[in-house]
Amino acid sequence: MKAKIITISVILLIAIIFLTLSMFVVDQTQQAVVLRFGQIVNTYSTPGIHFRTPFVDNVVKFEKRILLYDIEPEKIITLDKKTLIVDTYALWKIVDAKKFIETMKTIGLAESRIDDIVYSNIRNVFAKHSFDEIISDKRESFLKEVTTLSRADLENFGIEIVDVRVKHADLPSENVSAVYERMKAERYSIAAQIRAEGQKEAQKIRAEADKNVTVILAQAQSQAEKIRGDGEASATRIYALAYQTNPEFFELWRSLSAYDTILNNGTVIFGKDLEIFKYIFEVK
Amino acid sequence: MWKKLIGWLVLVIIILIYLSTGIYQVGPSEVALIKTFGKYTHSTGPGMHFHLPYPFQSHVIVDVETIRKEEIGFRTIESYGKISYRTVNEEALMLTGDGNIISVEAAVQYRIKDPVKFAFNVINGKELVRFTTESVLRERIAVRTIDDVLTVERDKIALETAEKVQEILDSYDSGILINKVYLQEVAPPDQVVAAFDDVNNAKQDKERFINEATKYANDVIPKAQGQAEKILREAEAYAQKKILEAQGETQRFLSVLKEYEIAPEITKKRLILEKLQSVFSSTKNIFVLDDSGTIKLLNVNDLIGGDTK
Repeated sequence: MKAKIITISVILLIAIIFLTLSMFVVDQTQQAVVLRFGQIVNTYSTPGIHFRTPFVDNVVKFEKRILLYDIEPEKIITLDKKTLIVDTYALWKIVDAKKFIETMKTIGLAESRIDDIVYSNIRNVFAKHSFDEIISDKRESFLKEVTTLSRADLENFGIEIVDVRVKHADLPSENVSAVYERMKAERYSIAAQIRAEGQKEAQKIRAEADKNVTVILAQAQSQAEKIRGDGEASATRIYALAYQTNPEFFELWRSLSAYDTILNNGTVIFGKDLEIFKYIFEVK
Repeated sequence: MWKKLIGWLVLVIIILIYLSTGIYQVGPSEVALIKTFGKYTHSTGPGMHFHLPYPFQSHVIVDVETIRKEEIGFRTIESYGKISYRTVNEEALMLTGDGNIISVEAAVQYRIKDPVKFAFNVINGKELVRFTTESVLRERIAVRTIDDVLTVERDKIALETAEKVQEILDSYDSGILINKVYLQEVAPPDQVVAAFDDVNNAKQDKERFINEATKYANDVIPKAQGQAEKILREAEAYAQKKILEAQGETQRFLSVLKEYEIAPEITKKRLILEKLQSVFSSTKNIFVLDDSGTIKLLNVNDLIGGDTK
């Protein structure tokens, strides 16, 4: 009885061990290739439980998720012979595990292939365009072109290039200082212009003020003359109206009042027929 | 007997320990994705949960609520509770559309909107967000002039970057949601800061020049206006004086005339005599040239009529 239980237990244990050896789990993030003595027997890209022949089959699993490969920055010469340091990265995934294992074997190897191909394509595409175009918003379409080209090149390796993007596109350090110098010169010239404009404005305001002062004074002067003239005219009119009532008396009146000022103190010599003496000699 | 009992106990403990691999805890901001034989089956929310132990089920926990952050162009350094920032020039310096170089620091905030996509479609979500933002930000800076980047276009750049990054991340099916891109310090590179400052100083100088000139104008014009008023008032005073003099004199004339007309001859004589008296009383000698050209000395008293004798 006891021996029977032990036998069953051993058989069960062996069965479990055998089952575990023949079963393998493919995770949601993975895909698997079953190799038999180095030959591909099967590939599984769906997650779940799968079977293999124990001791004979070897299972290799690969990522199914998008992988990010940061390509080292490289110098690129543009169409207008300018140097640009381009730092790119590529997003890729293994879409065909069978092809991948046949051609690449490992991710590290694949990355070096991607590096070669993407970099070469970037260089080819960017070299056909000027520096300004690469810096401009056309860059996106160039990168699409690079992505498409790289995708075609890597298709046979079971790899899909999802995207190629430029992280940095910078000038080489030997050009940077020249750019800084130019920027400085540009700013100083702008500053000079702004100051000159300020002086121009100031000059304008001063000149305008001076003009206004002159005009204001001249207008006042002219107005003043007119006022004086009006006053004198009114006075003349008043005199004329009053004196014309009796011109004869006016003559007497005016002459007499003139004597006050003419014949003041001292010795005076006259001609006898002076109009002014008319009344004096008349009296005599 | 005791030996057997201990044996069973050990077995039970081993089984319990094994079963406990199926117990898991999900935090308040997290979601657990349950995989059955590696295949995603369902999600569970916060709390204590149990799933079948290894190798039947496993779980991945994804934090979906917490806002994550990536810094571009700078790093936050926390030491002894003190926060400071350090600029990373390699990241911060960017080319602008007009061939200049500018230093831009930005932070991108994101969270996971779809934990399933995030866990199963992409490997390095953090790097992905970082690289994509860096790439897009540079693109957005590269289509603008340095002056626009420094001033009016800041908000737009941040907005456009966030939108574009979202678009790209969606195309990867990454399950990442970009909350916002914040532009931090946007400044000219250190080497050219002095030159940029000089432009600002120049603007101040310009304002100063204009203000000084305006001050001058504000000074001289009212003074001139005052002077003009003075000139006008003087003229008016003169005119008034002339008129009043005329009125006075004529009034006097008319008054006397009225009396004169009562007896013209008499009054005339009287007036003459009075005048002569008053005039010549202070005159010592009067010489009159006769028709013959000889000088005659007039006797004032004779003229007046000897009344004074």
